[in-house]
Amino acid sequence: MTSPLRTGLSRRTLLSLSGLGAGAFALAACGGPTVGGDSSNDKAKEVDFEGVKPAKKIDFWSTHPGGAKEIETKLIKDFTDKTGIEVNLVTGGQNYEEIAQRFQTAQAANSGLPAVVVLSDVWWFRYFMNGNIIPLDNLLKQLDFQLDDYRETLVEDYQYDGKQWAMPYGRSTPLFYYNRDHFKAAGLEDRAPKTWDEFAEWSKKLTEADTPFMYPDLAGYAGWTLQNVLWGRGAEYSHEWDLKLTEQKSVEAFQWVQDSVHKEKWGQVASSDSADSFAGGVCSATIASTGSLVGILEAAKFDVGVGFLPAGPVDGPVCPTGGAGLGIPAAIKPEEQLAAAEFIKFMGEPENTAQFSAATGYMPNRKSSDMSAIIKETPQIETAIKQLEHTRKQDYARVYLPGADQEIAKAVASILNDKADVKQSLEGLQKNLQGIYDKDVKPKIEKQK
Amino acid sequence: MSVSDQAAPASPPAARGAAEGTPARRRRFSARSRRDFWVFLAFAAPNLILIALFTYRPLLTNLNYSLLDWTLGSTTAQFIGLQNYIEFFTSEGGRRTMLITLIFTVATVGGSMVLGLLFAVAMNRRLPGRTVARTAIFAPYVLSGVGVGLVWLFIFDPNFGALAWVLRQVALTSPQWVNDPNWALVMVIIVYVWKNLGYCAIVYLGGLQSLPTEVLQAAELDGAGPVRRFWSIALPLLSPTTFFLLITTILNSLQAFDIIRIMTPAGRGTNVMIFEVYLQAFGGYSRAGYSAAIAVILFVFLLLITVIQIRYVEKKVHYA
Repeated sequence: MTSPLRTGLSRRTLLSLSGLGAGAFALAACGGPTVGGDSSNDKAKEVDFEGVKPAKKIDFWSTHPGGAKEIETKLIKDFTDKTGIEVNLVTGGQNYEEIAQRFQTAQAANSGLPAVVVLSDVWWFRYFMNGNIIPLDNLLKQLDFQLDDYRETLVEDYQYDGKQWAMPYGRSTPLFYYNRDHFKAAGLEDRAPKTWDEFAEWSKKLTEADTPFMYPDLAGYAGWTLQNVLWGRGAEYSHEWDLKLTEQKSVEAFQWVQDSVHKEKWGQVASSDSADSFAGGVCSATIASTGSLVGILEAAKFDVGVGFLPAGPVDGPVCPTGGAGLGIPAAIKPEEQLAAAEFIKFMGEPENTAQFSAATGYMPNRKSSDMSAIIKETPQIETAIKQLEHTRKQDYARVYLPGADQEIAKAVASILNDKADVKQSLEGLQKNLQGIYDKDVKPKIEKQK
Repeated sequence: MSVSDQAAPASPPAARGAAEGTPARRRRFSARSRRDFWVFLAFAAPNLILIALFTYRPLLTNLNYSLLDWTLGSTTAQFIGLQNYIEFFTSEGGRRTMLITLIFTVATVGGSMVLGLLFAVAMNRRLPGRTVARTAIFAPYVLSGVGVGLVWLFIFDPNFGALAWVLRQVALTSPQWVNDPNWALVMVIIVYVWKNLGYCAIVYLGGLQSLPTEVLQAAELDGAGPVRRFWSIALPLLSPTTFFLLITTILNSLQAFDIIRIMTPAGRGTNVMIFEVYLQAFGGYSRAGYSAAIAVILFVFLLLITVIQIRYVEKKVHYA
């Protein structure tokens, strides 16, 4: 018996199927990126807002950093009452990575983009390289943003190539948290250690918890929290685009971290958020974001002390900035962009940033924000604010190279968990990061010029 | 020129013979065929259009992307041919991903099928509380992967976790389940086996209950003990069930994502192929082209496994 499949496939059918296949491929090629040719679409364009009227309704994608949904809803209502512009608050993701996924997917589809998006320290530069966000300089001028009242380091974080690409929103720094009860039981002073060497000494007396110190979990921004250790020892991930990971000082800094876990054994690495381990009493001290402050104070059943990040033998106290800013997509209407800028300006008003800070523990972005009532209620916030004087913009290698944070976390994991050779791990890391720079970054930043 | 005139020369002899007849008859046949074709189209077209739009179009689009050097979010990309595929097969990262996928698949498929069979044999006996036991064993399969991942993450926590507490009672220290890449893989394998063994157990139970009792009784009369009856009669007769489970659990394992994503978001040591697809595109690297290439490779692997199983493994199956 002849198979029906065989008898049906005539030359004509074959040609029809080929035509269908070719059509399907042609259809598949539609949408997505433009292949080859002119890449000027990736260059962010200046927008002229002369004569533009703000849109009446915009979308705001947020991660609600530090449990900010309630305060965001309140501030949005205040904004609408003041300007008549409606803002639709959308949960863009649970964290910076999730919102980045959604934003990039919307970019690829070229639809459904918001007017304002929360972008983290490690993501905004990628949006800049791809031409996804607009420079805000014209808008800052037109809407008369009082830039001199913003905290400089928090604004400078979003500057590149002489332009401002975002404005600070839920900004944070790492903070040293310690269990005051444990410190008291150990007979230690009620303060954070001034240097890491001092803490290494103190750790011998800290026996109340499973471990004296808990390094933050590696999945959660290891590169960010270890930046302080590197700077304190005169090392850095990179100097601008020049990678410095294999230099002796960097190797010594990471060797010191490895020794603290495996040789001196006063440190462990958290499996999940180190703020939870600390609040649960598993460790006597840890480093966590200022954005975790409110949560830790609520969860901990002991007296929580906070302090500046300890200094190293070469530099300090010194601390990286972090957290999120607000940006405006390029592929939306100028009316929406203008309304978005008005919203960003409103969220950055001194009284509003103070309210946001009180609700979340993130830093007030304005110098003139009246924080007295908040400090009276939560005195620990004052330490976090004072530490802003010691902040420094993060190394390019961590925040500007796509995937660098993941690569750093992998290398740190090898060093801390697998006791891998430090120099070898850092050489591998440097090679990977250099590859990312050469392939994914260098051509794009040259194109933006 | 009519449709039938066009089709006739191309028809093979057998088909042509069947279609031969008077011109009037040919026209009637042709008209009926056309009517049937339109009826067929009316019923099938909505589904075909949906499948084409939401299954085959993305598949082809993904194939197109896999040939590009494309950063997610960028509006431009460069055509690089098979470079993404070459990188996956030649890079250390790509090879590690394939090894992790192999270990994960073999362990989860083997673990859930063997344990599922054992549970099925136990549940097939008339024991008190077996209905409750069947429910308890099957329940994890229908639970949300996200919820399962979160609960197990707490159980595995080396400081707070229930497992760490149990280990402390016997003077043992908990492994660093999340931080150590080897233990992380073991951890997600355990959770997937736990979640899927209920499915295997219930399918095997169905197979066991449909076995011909007369054959087993005859073997018993011939002096075969319970172990002999199981190995020599029950297990071969269960081969269609085993074959079905082998296909479905392998395909499920190769598409396992939710629990891995929740328990090990960085994917260190647990980056099976489908998770690597996600990590490369959305996990920080934004390498949409490379990610698409891994997705195509995974698709081809799945296709090959299915074809091999159907062509070769099915021949070994004994249908009762």
